[in-house]
Amino acid sequence: MSATTLPLEESPLGIPSHKLAMWLFIMADGATFGAILFAYGFLRAGTPDWTKPFALWPSIANGCLMTVILLSSSLTMLGAGTAARAGQKQRCVRWVGATMLLGVFFAALHLREWFAMFHEGWGLGHNPLGGAALVGSTFFGITGLHLLHVVSGVIALGVVAWRFQRGRLGSEHIETVGLYWHFVDLVWMFVFPLVYLLNAR
Amino acid sequence: MNMRTYVTVWLGMIALVAVEVLVTYARPSPGTLLATLLALALVEAAVALLYFMHLKYERRALLWWTVPLVLFALVMLDHVWPDALRLASLRLH
Repeated sequence: MSATTLPLEESPLGIPSHKLAMWLFIMADGATFGAILFAYGFLRAGTPDWTKPFALWPSIANGCLMTVILLSSSLTMLGAGTAARAGQKQRCVRWVGATMLLGVFFAALHLREWFAMFHEGWGLGHNPLGGAALVGSTFFGITGLHLLHVVSGVIALGVVAWRFQRGRLGSEHIETVGLYWHFVDLVWMFVFPLVYLLNAR
Repeated sequence: MNMRTYVTVWLGMIALVAVEVLVTYARPSPGTLLATLLALALVEAAVALLYFMHLKYERRALLWWTVPLVLFALVMLDHVWPDALRLASLRLH
């Protein structure tokens, strides 16, 4: 009997190996973001001259728009998964394209905000309001790591959709890359209130 | 799950974000604000895990294998970080 015909024991979790690998990655990455947010929380609580840099307009309003965009990108990703399961390849690719577009829009808004803050004098070690420099370093550190995940996700979505369209990957791979995208959305559900809203003027 | 359910969940998530912003500008005490925002974020995370990431429709073993492990790691981190601050200030006891 060749190795390819050996009967395989069913996964106790009922998911294929690539999906299990993605869940393992998400668990590890979740702990990473958790560690960073805990560190931020302790630093913020332990810094007496912490300043609140975000006004309702434009910072919080921009953050709200970014949140709605990211949530909408999760919805389009769900559309992609539904179309992939139904065998509608072109429709699935269009949904993935919409997700990528929203991801790029999110990144563009984020970078615009960053550059506006740089212009005001904010930096990793600079606080133009005269308070703790940690405000800038924690903000750019946390949002930068999240932005890196968004950009990586847009690239991963493009690669998987391209290979799916060419028949090299199946619908389950669209679902697996979708898990990553939803995770990026989930992390933002903590970053937005803890980093933006808690620092609203 | 069909798209109608997904759209309902999406609208619910946007509503929760709106509540977060409204609570912030109601200017409660810092402790109340932190507790409220964390509670709302946890609800959003649970909804995202169950509906967007399909944990509700996978085998229960996957949910019980993933979520408690991550929560355990995060709780342990929460206990370790104050110790790191104590060491930073060189107060041994």
